[in-house]
Amino acid sequence: MHTRRTVLMLAGVVAMLAGSPALAQDRIKVVATFSVLGDLVKNVGGDRIEVSTLVAPNSDAHVFSPTPGDAKTLATAKAVFVNGLGFEGWMARLVKASGTKAPTFVASAGIKTRTMEDDHQHGRRVTDPHAWQSIANAKVYVANIRDGLVKADPAGQSAYEANATAYLQKLDALEREVKDAIARIPADRRKIITTHDAFGYFGAAYGMEFIAPEGISTDSEPSAKDLAKIITQVRKQKIPAVFMENITDPRLMQQIAKETGAKVGGTLHSDALSEPGGPAGSYIDMMRNNIREFSKALTS
Amino acid sequence: MTAQLQFRNLTLGYDRHPAVHHLDGAVQVGSLTAVVGPNGAGKSTLFKGVVGVLKPLAGRIERNGVDPQDIAYLPQIAEIDRTFPISVYDMVAMGLWRSKGLFGGIGAKDRDTVEAAIEAVGLTGFEQRPIGTLSGGQMQRMLFARLLLQDARVIVLDEPFNAIDAKTSADLLALVRRWHAEQRTVLAALHDLDVVKANFPEALLLAREPVAWGKTADVLTNDNWVKARRMCEAFDEHAQACVAAA
Amino acid sequence: MREDAFFPLPQGERVTEPAANIVNMLYDTLIAPFADFEFMRRALVGSFALALGAAPIGVFLMLRRMSLIGDAMAHAILPGAAIGFMIAGLSLFAMAGGGLIAGFVIAVGAGLIARSTELKEDASLAAFFLISLALGVTIVSVKGTNVDLLHFLFGSVLAVDDPTLLLIVGITSVSLVVLALIWRPLVLECVDPGFLRSVSRAGGMAHIAFLALVVMNLVGGFQALGTLLAVGIMMLPAVISRFWARDITGMIGVAVGCAAFSGYVGLLVSYHANLPSGPAIILVAGAIYAVSVVFGPVGGLIWHLLPQRHLEA
Repeated sequence: MHTRRTVLMLAGVVAMLAGSPALAQDRIKVVATFSVLGDLVKNVGGDRIEVSTLVAPNSDAHVFSPTPGDAKTLATAKAVFVNGLGFEGWMARLVKASGTKAPTFVASAGIKTRTMEDDHQHGRRVTDPHAWQSIANAKVYVANIRDGLVKADPAGQSAYEANATAYLQKLDALEREVKDAIARIPADRRKIITTHDAFGYFGAAYGMEFIAPEGISTDSEPSAKDLAKIITQVRKQKIPAVFMENITDPRLMQQIAKETGAKVGGTLHSDALSEPGGPAGSYIDMMRNNIREFSKALTS
Repeated sequence: MTAQLQFRNLTLGYDRHPAVHHLDGAVQVGSLTAVVGPNGAGKSTLFKGVVGVLKPLAGRIERNGVDPQDIAYLPQIAEIDRTFPISVYDMVAMGLWRSKGLFGGIGAKDRDTVEAAIEAVGLTGFEQRPIGTLSGGQMQRMLFARLLLQDARVIVLDEPFNAIDAKTSADLLALVRRWHAEQRTVLAALHDLDVVKANFPEALLLAREPVAWGKTADVLTNDNWVKARRMCEAFDEHAQACVAAA
Repeated sequence: MREDAFFPLPQGERVTEPAANIVNMLYDTLIAPFADFEFMRRALVGSFALALGAAPIGVFLMLRRMSLIGDAMAHAILPGAAIGFMIAGLSLFAMAGGGLIAGFVIAVGAGLIARSTELKEDASLAAFFLISLALGVTIVSVKGTNVDLLHFLFGSVLAVDDPTLLLIVGITSVSLVVLALIWRPLVLECVDPGFLRSVSRAGGMAHIAFLALVVMNLVGGFQALGTLLAVGIMMLPAVISRFWARDITGMIGVAVGCAAFSGYVGLLVSYHANLPSGPAIILVAGAIYAVSVVFGPVGGLIWHLLPQRHLEA
């Protein structure tokens, strides 16, 4: 009787031990600040890591306010990946508050930066943080992420290097796709108006002109003069498409399109991915979505 | 003599407390009746019942086929917004409502009628004045002009001469006498007993319950007044349900 | 040359230079913005339509001491918009429709309660709108959406598209017709409700119809032109008219005129001085108000301050 019970108990324990993969292989906890970065990190890290993203999909990193839960996530992480270039103004304080021992890796290290007009202080120029919009830069990101992961988890070096190489190839293919799509757009139509100043790197890398409308600031009501200026600008410079994601009233956008004959563009994703099943659920999908919207608006 | 208003065991009041208690009787067609009584006697309440604003708690009022909305009524305290931008003329012209309705136009003949009414109350020259600029007496004259235009067979006046100067009272009393001459039925609540004795052939002394009703001289006796004053003014919070209200 | 384009002159005559310059300047300042830009024309038509429909209603609201109903309504329609959003997502039609229904329920409910109980209009309305607002916030929180529903629902004078224009013009037409229909009982209801009760049963219906007009103009105005403009154009001209007319027809005339004028000048100010358009229109009306308070023929302050010889009689 005793023997049978002991055997059953032992069998149960062995079964439990065998059935729990977590014990066999602990995933490295890693934090990325926002969804685009998170996707890149996931592609380099593969199964060895578990990525938590602070700023969720479809959310704005500029106005993100961290919660205590985020501090906890940081505290238990082995590595932290940030974009840098001033994108996450709140990060330094959060890292300190969490007391995490994890090293912070800046994905944009080594990139040649651009400047852009400050969102809040017109006329002042600041560093443009949206470096990932150029695929060449994204490749630098991937390299930096790989090196960071290797430093945090030397045991996984070979896996990280393999993942990174594979993903870099995908990025090469993506870059060819983007360049081909741009080439199909007639040269004189490669310009759009967009309120959000996120595409500077994209424009520089692939030869598209992104023009900021003079005057319309997204957080206040436009004046008639502002509207007139945009319409005149679009007419004069013969800008074929208008993408204005941030204006709350879509009718304003349509009014501009109607009066100028410009096309109203679809939804662009720049600072954040969409939800996982959506049109821009990964970095590669995001770039594809954007170039598709550009092509749609500019080639018809 | 036919009854214009027949009260059958009429009880009117608020919150189940009777302000007019078991009133029986008739107001004859073409009569000129003063309704008198101490404060709180139920005079205003009775008038509200007559014009249909208040529903009886018990009993009923028969009006000999007259629609309550065709009874001209001058309340004791008019809820008039004096700051409203309307002229004396337009205000008086509202008296034509029953004949004009929502859209009826005011033609030349009607204009003459309105102006005649304004003249009859001594307000000629005041036609375009905003009502907010009128004195108490002038306001009352204006309301009488409106009553004139209503051309009603039954007219009910609740203390029409309160706080009004003597000249105005006299002028308006003349109008009341004219109505009586035109065989309209007039009911008026009054405090000034001299006016009642001089102008009103019939009187109803009310002190929640009817004390006396008939010829003025018979009604306004000392005994009757003593009886009337004895009746309590305030509602009794602990009163039981009325046994006679079955 | 420009002058000749406008003034085809007989041979041999030329308009003097300074006169031509003035005409050009006037044209550039007053007409050109509307001639050159379609959105300006639409904004003007939308403002004029709103002026025609909402200003008369504002006069009655002011006289009935309901001047703050506009702001109350802007918040109170939230549960209606929220339910519309729950049913059909970010559909302007569903949300505006929901808002309209919520507005009706609140206005009519408050009106009925005020008529049949001791409660006055303002108290009744306050109760309804607070409850409605709380309900709206609760629905939105439970549903858990990030979008500022009301912000989405409210339009802007610079973004008047065809459906919006039709909406505003339609509302104005209906308002004018209904107002003409209920004119008499409405006036009487304001000045002597007791008398109206004694001669007619139309008072209640007229009151409800009036409230319906208020809700329609407000919610439609919010959706077409935004809250500031809708409420502002309804109430400010009405308040101004108090200082210029002594009878109600005159007041309505002044109110409509002021509203239209403010729309026109406000749009020009927004264009030339680069100011946001809705506020510019209201500020123009505000300036007229300030002038009226001091110099208005009916009760303007200046008449109290300046000594005047009294009349003979």
